[in-house]
Amino acid sequence: MASLAARRSKDAVVKALSTGFAFLALFLLGWILWTLLARGLPALSFSVFTNVTAPPGQNGGLANAIVGSLIQVGIAMLIGAPIGIFAGTFLAENGKGTKIAAAARFVNDILLSAPSILVGLFIYTLLVVPLGGFSGWAGSLALAILVIPVVVRTTEDMLNLVPVGLREAAFALGAPQWKVVMFITWRAARAGIVTGLLLAIARAAGETAPLLFTSLGNNAWSLDLNSPMASLPVAIYQYAGSPFDDWVALAWAGALIITVGVLVLNVVSRLVLSRGH
Amino acid sequence: MEATMDGLGSAPVEPISKAKGTGRIADPIFVALLWGSGIFVLILLGLIIAELFQGGLPALQHFGLEFIWTASWNPVTENYGALVMIYGTLFSAVIAVVVALPLSFGIAFFLTEIAPQRLKQPIGVAVQLLAAVPSIIYGMWGFFVIVPLMAAYVQPPLIDTLGQLPLLGLLFQGPPLGSGMLTAGLILAVMILPFITAMFVETLESVPPMLKESAYGVGATTYEVYKNVSVPYGRTAMVGAIMLGLGRALGETMAVTFVIGNATRLSASLFAPGATIASAIANEFPEAQLGSLKLTSLLQLGFILFVISFIVLALSRALVRSRMD
Amino acid sequence: MTSAVDPSISIATSVAARPDAPPAPVKLKVEGLQFYYGQSHALKNINFEIPEKRVTAMIGPSGCGKSTLLRVFNRMYDLYPGQRAEGQVLFDGVNIVGKELDSTVVRSRIGMVFQKPTPFPMSIYDNIAFGVRLHERLNKSQMDERVEWCLRKAAIWDETKDRLNTSALGMSGGQQQRLCIARTIAVRPEVILLDEPTSALDPISTSKIEDLIDELKRDFTIVIVTHNMQQAARCADITAFFYLGELIEVAPSDVIFTNPKEIKTRDYITGRFG
Repeated sequence: MASLAARRSKDAVVKALSTGFAFLALFLLGWILWTLLARGLPALSFSVFTNVTAPPGQNGGLANAIVGSLIQVGIAMLIGAPIGIFAGTFLAENGKGTKIAAAARFVNDILLSAPSILVGLFIYTLLVVPLGGFSGWAGSLALAILVIPVVVRTTEDMLNLVPVGLREAAFALGAPQWKVVMFITWRAARAGIVTGLLLAIARAAGETAPLLFTSLGNNAWSLDLNSPMASLPVAIYQYAGSPFDDWVALAWAGALIITVGVLVLNVVSRLVLSRGH
Repeated sequence: MEATMDGLGSAPVEPISKAKGTGRIADPIFVALLWGSGIFVLILLGLIIAELFQGGLPALQHFGLEFIWTASWNPVTENYGALVMIYGTLFSAVIAVVVALPLSFGIAFFLTEIAPQRLKQPIGVAVQLLAAVPSIIYGMWGFFVIVPLMAAYVQPPLIDTLGQLPLLGLLFQGPPLGSGMLTAGLILAVMILPFITAMFVETLESVPPMLKESAYGVGATTYEVYKNVSVPYGRTAMVGAIMLGLGRALGETMAVTFVIGNATRLSASLFAPGATIASAIANEFPEAQLGSLKLTSLLQLGFILFVISFIVLALSRALVRSRMD
Repeated sequence: MTSAVDPSISIATSVAARPDAPPAPVKLKVEGLQFYYGQSHALKNINFEIPEKRVTAMIGPSGCGKSTLLRVFNRMYDLYPGQRAEGQVLFDGVNIVGKELDSTVVRSRIGMVFQKPTPFPMSIYDNIAFGVRLHERLNKSQMDERVEWCLRKAAIWDETKDRLNTSALGMSGGQQQRLCIARTIAVRPEVILLDEPTSALDPISTSKIEDLIDELKRDFTIVIVTHNMQQAARCADITAFFYLGELIEVAPSDVIFTNPKEIKTRDYITGRFG
């Protein structure tokens, strides 16, 4: 064994290094945020929110992309949240201990980390090709598939924290299962489930890859879910890679908007969770 | 007890054999919805695999299994193979894990053993926020900020020094473009860092205090306890966490697409532009005609990526959950 | 072990033999009851009767099956696929074990209060209204009246009347347990099952609950599982002693605590084991 002094100094070196790594992570986050602010803020103006995307040099905005994102994420949540909550409830309640639930839990864990671009390809072959075109619906469904595993996971985890006694007490009053679940169990786990929903929104809002082959993007104002629909991440992708300075600036403005939105959702969801407990 | 109220306590007059259940209509519907949703999630993965397989089948039929180890991706001659992308996917993901791993070990050590209670939560949350930043933002940051830095300050000196060495020098060849495998791997490392760190911290916090205290009791330093007690105790789950990071890196699309250079050539150099399966799909898809060999080849690439991701993620899950289930 | 209790002996008649008690009809009759947790045989051929509007205590060491039997009475075991009961429990002559009756019907007639207080995460008022609304449609004033009635019955009205709309989670443990009793009463069951209702409470709260039990037997048939033999002796008209899944002895409480017939019962109540 090394001398005490050598061991002590090794301990000190590793501690210093680890602290340095932690601050490196903080620095990286700060660097990314600083880049977004420095490049996005100057480009951010009222017209970004009011004007539709336009050819270079014509003072375009991101209004259609922002609205398109809101619509697609909204529909994704309307589809994905109920399925996710029900499936998560299934895992924590009726399915508990069954082989089917174990398999579904496994599949859900895989879906949670599976490449999102493949979900886009899946919807492309399943819907876009047979129906003959890119559409807002296809984009919404692709996002819904990304929303589901997040909601399933948090819902199951949070329901498992609800004491068994609370469920039994509700059953003991003669309550049917649907009322026990909806009015007692879900209610007791409300903060956690809401956290899961907020995180799911944040995830769906920032995704680009699954929308490339589904809703495609649209440079005109369109609320038609049956035709291609713009979205903020796809518009950013399109503009950031372009050679036009005003488009690149607009991409930074969009990047700032989306990152602030996503980070705020994340922080709020943490607050909801810590308040609820 | 007021007498007037006691009347409320009189038992229901209906005999129990005639009474109706409170959930006889809604409960079967509710239970069917629960089972239906659970089974939907279960078959979703199978559906995705089946769709991708079917979509890519024409390419497989055309090229045979050779598709997997063919290094050509030539739209002119219509000769497609997956090797360059598979290589790029694995190479960039391995770089990411190699870079992220020591950082995660250090940050987890800091968060569990060093940080004062007040700092622990805010720093932990900040590290987690790195995971919340959308992929495309990493792509832009990488493309506009990191790539120029790599081209100006990192790659030229490395090419001039390490690039001159025999064998090892092969890793540091080519023009200092800034983009390429190394840059993609570094960006990916930052992206998977929070996932690995969070799972490390969770595992390390589950180490029984008794174990650690007995090690401290014989005079071990904080680092020695971490290295010899905590990490060995949690090693299975920690390997699982590393696999999860790897799995995440394999399928990351937007960030990689911005910085990897998108070249479908095979090169050993860390600085050479390349492609991953995901970046190739994102890049080439707009130019692929419906029903073309290129499109089915891209779908076949997608299927291959799914298989690789599935294996890595399933392994990760088996390791992480092995102690819990 | 069936020989320990002769099924032909009616406890109801033996209670009726006490000078201070009028004859009580049988409310619950357990006949040849077997219970299984998966492979493990938790209750072995139980036969006995629970008289109406009396307090019946079930005692015995941990794992003896007393709580299991309580959970059979209101079909709580239905919630867990691996658990099953055979035999009969007759409620006013109707078998409540098995699939003939809907479990929610059984539970509305046979309420249960648990070891730990289980207030729902909602207001005191809604805690009570939740159960009532399951079975009855009441207008606002009827519901107000019902809430007041059951809170008075549970001897907690004075402490709660000014904060009915505040969260039940803010009450003390003893208050929460009495709220749970009020909530059970509000559904107007005929039988109330109490599963070690005071084991999580302090002595003052415990004595309040015990007084309450005495009060409640005027209207309800009460079955209480307890670890505390003094509690059984104080509250119960009849006490049943269980050991290793078998019913060893059942008799009026004063008999069982002063002059038990079985050696095992004597050993248990004198503290030789358990």
